[in-house]
Amino acid sequence: MIESHKLMAFFGVCEEDLRRLVEIALSNGGDYADLYFEYSISNELALRDGEVNAAGSHIDYGMGVRVLFGDQTGYAYTEITTIEEMEKAAKVASRIASSPSKYKLPNVNKLKFANFYPVICPWEENPISNKTPYLQELNAKIFDLDKRVNKVLARISDSTSQILFFNSEGLLACDDRPMASLTATCIMENNGKVENGSSSRSFRTGFEFLTHELVDEVANEVVHRTASLFDAIQPSGGELPVVMGAGSSGILLHEAIGHAFEADFNRLNTSIFADKFGKKICTEEISVIDDGTIPWNRGSVNFDDEGVVGQKTYMVKNGVLTSYLHDRISANYYKTKPTGNGRRESFRFMPLPRMRATYMENGKSRESDIISSVKRGIYVDNFSNGQVQIGAGDFTFYVKSGFLIENGKLTQPIKDINIIGNGPQALADIVAVADNSIIDNGTWSCGKEQYCPVSCGMPSVLVKKLTIGGVQN
Amino acid sequence: MSANPKDAAVKALEVSLAKGCKAARISLNITTQCSYSVRNDKLDRLQQSKGSSLFIQLFVDDRYGSFSTNRTDPEEVVNFIGKGIEATRFLTPDPCRTLPDKSLYYTGGGVDLKQYDRSIENIEPKQKLDIAFGCASEVLGKDKRVITVNSEYGDSDDYFYMIDSQGFEDESLESNFTLSAECSVKGRGDARPEAWWYESTLFFNNLKINGCGTKSLERALNRLNPKKLKSGKYNMVVENTASSRLISPIISALNGASIQQNNSFLKGKLGNQIFSPNFTLFDNAHLVGAAGARYFDGEGVATKPMKIVENGTINTYFINTYHSRKLGLPVTIEGPSVLNCFMEDTSSAGIDKNLEYILSKCGTGIFVTGFNGGNSNSSTGDFSLGIEGFFFENGRISHPIKEMNVTGNIITLWNNIIEIGTDPRNSSRWLIPTLAFESVDFNGI
Repeated sequence: MIESHKLMAFFGVCEEDLRRLVEIALSNGGDYADLYFEYSISNELALRDGEVNAAGSHIDYGMGVRVLFGDQTGYAYTEITTIEEMEKAAKVASRIASSPSKYKLPNVNKLKFANFYPVICPWEENPISNKTPYLQELNAKIFDLDKRVNKVLARISDSTSQILFFNSEGLLACDDRPMASLTATCIMENNGKVENGSSSRSFRTGFEFLTHELVDEVANEVVHRTASLFDAIQPSGGELPVVMGAGSSGILLHEAIGHAFEADFNRLNTSIFADKFGKKICTEEISVIDDGTIPWNRGSVNFDDEGVVGQKTYMVKNGVLTSYLHDRISANYYKTKPTGNGRRESFRFMPLPRMRATYMENGKSRESDIISSVKRGIYVDNFSNGQVQIGAGDFTFYVKSGFLIENGKLTQPIKDINIIGNGPQALADIVAVADNSIIDNGTWSCGKEQYCPVSCGMPSVLVKKLTIGGVQN
Repeated sequence: MSANPKDAAVKALEVSLAKGCKAARISLNITTQCSYSVRNDKLDRLQQSKGSSLFIQLFVDDRYGSFSTNRTDPEEVVNFIGKGIEATRFLTPDPCRTLPDKSLYYTGGGVDLKQYDRSIENIEPKQKLDIAFGCASEVLGKDKRVITVNSEYGDSDDYFYMIDSQGFEDESLESNFTLSAECSVKGRGDARPEAWWYESTLFFNNLKINGCGTKSLERALNRLNPKKLKSGKYNMVVENTASSRLISPIISALNGASIQQNNSFLKGKLGNQIFSPNFTLFDNAHLVGAAGARYFDGEGVATKPMKIVENGTINTYFINTYHSRKLGLPVTIEGPSVLNCFMEDTSSAGIDKNLEYILSKCGTGIFVTGFNGGNSNSSTGDFSLGIEGFFFENGRISHPIKEMNVTGNIITLWNNIIEIGTDPRNSSRWLIPTLAFESVDFNGI
């Protein structure tokens, strides 16, 4: 982890400058201010048509100043970290407030936190020539696995962000945030029919991310996913029981309840769960967690983007809504502690309550028993995207592939259907929870106003009824 | 950044060539923006920013690398380009990576496309704030079911400059003004339906300041007490706020990268009638005053007005220089600028085909005002989308609907088109009007 004095030198500031900027930010009477400095470098390497023939690097550098005045926010950023430009930004942000300044800076405290994503081999020490063999190996394996493979697109992305944070409470913190992903898309052709599938893995880690085992895992998954589509159909649509397979079905939690538990929506009374705090909302078998502490997980944070240490938050404990996901504004409103969910895409954005890794704990059932309990329904385990209407509670997610369940058995493969439901109802309709909870380590991103890396997980569950997209015969 | 921002791009080009690139293209973006958000009766957020980025595309020994940085200090740019060239040399040669044929470049002389309003520099913060407050005040106190209203005024100023080693050099400037409102109302049980409305223009004086908040309130109240319909085939009318979503899969499938990667349901369909003969899709790239109008694309290739789909027949793919060489097809353009679609139907020429006309023509069906998630399969054209909207009977809206999907195939859908309106919203870059289709699969109860 980089030391604070080195990072301050890199951004061209000293402790006195930070204090001065916070003073300016609060000069119109704001209650709280923070400074967020960021230097990010991201790299991409791509394979297409069998060759590693495209590369890119991108640098993003700047700092943002945020001022809170009650629940009002002033925000400005600059890409030039001269004192003059930063003072201008601080003055702009200060205008949210309009009362005499009452600010007195306390002593500077360095934030203490656990490192959830230590790096063994930094990306900057590994040139393209070290990464290329993994893409070539991935390409070869995918082609070897199935003769119908026609095209492969593969990509390694890595990034490292250096963060310097300082706030009006005197809190000083620095973080190195790595991120890596390996993605493969496979196109297969069979008797003139074409299908495509994708697979990815992503972690907060260094170059040690790339292994032959990882390449095998992604190759096998993308080929299996694509090949299964040739026999798949869009089923008849309508209301059906749905068994959500373990892992990526965590998208249900993210869309159906996670967003509605973000405290900004509840503070404004616009979430369908706004009156449900402390109430039983589903079976006692269900506990749902949003966790920023899973080692190397894509959604983990040593500290969030407003200087609150990463933590594990039970949103639902034994069926009861026990916590919303807070940033500093909502925590102040609810007179509780922030939960470390104040996150932002970059220095260009103000933080908002955002999820990290959202998952459900194990239940007691076995997946096979859950499937065999369904006379007619569907089983789904591969998704691409989802969305929710916070107030109405209607959520959706898109199913890339799954199966019909007929008389308790998985039968006809299915594909390309949207599933829609209502969050509170869907949660209440979960009637069985399996004992196979896993986190899905795909490249999940959440797009609430701004993008944030997240992950999700779940044991297999049976939802009594959801509306399935499909074609009428 | 130097006093003349172009200098950074010119210098980057010089450095790229001096360090051994065979060719290079440099683009510079400078964006200034501000926004004022009001929640109910008080200022909620104030944001202001200015950002710039250099995009550097390097062609090194038949290899290609793409780089960007917002650190434009000359010494840092030199180092960054040096590292970029070094990295690019590790790649496999790809001779298809070149700059375009120079004869395809835009060389100037076009009329002013009216993309920039110089008054943007003179609008006072108080005026912006008053607009945001005025918008929220159209909702506050107007209905006891209102929970909250958020309104936002925003404006931005985008400068773009591009230069390459073959002599292309041009720039563009665009302003944008937006006003939006989002309103939540108390519904049945715990439901709090919400709805939004927005206005967006290139010129401040064209921004519709009045009515935005009212519209969001009306739309939210209209969503109260929704019902779920039985699954079945219905006529589908899609509002002009949402209709672009049904064009997007077609545009993606016409993209050269999708064609070259064998990942397009329109591969091999050039020159074939695929869609209804009533459907024509037009790129009106030089439409004066339209957001997105432009004379050149991201490679400097001159744009031109063109029919992409004409009477259901695919007239063109979107082919840039790289995919032209890969596919052996001529360069067209990287992507559309200002999309319109219309019906080649002389019998209804001159008729104002607005929403009322189209609902009346369709009689009974589902009126879709928004899509809630969903996706489509780029290889097959199969799609499934969540919807928001209303059931309509005898040309009149009956009640809102909830928790429903629409599912099908894009080719089949566009062969079932029964009406294309004449009412596109000018607030978006794709000027797609109200659309109507028959016999569409909806999934509900």
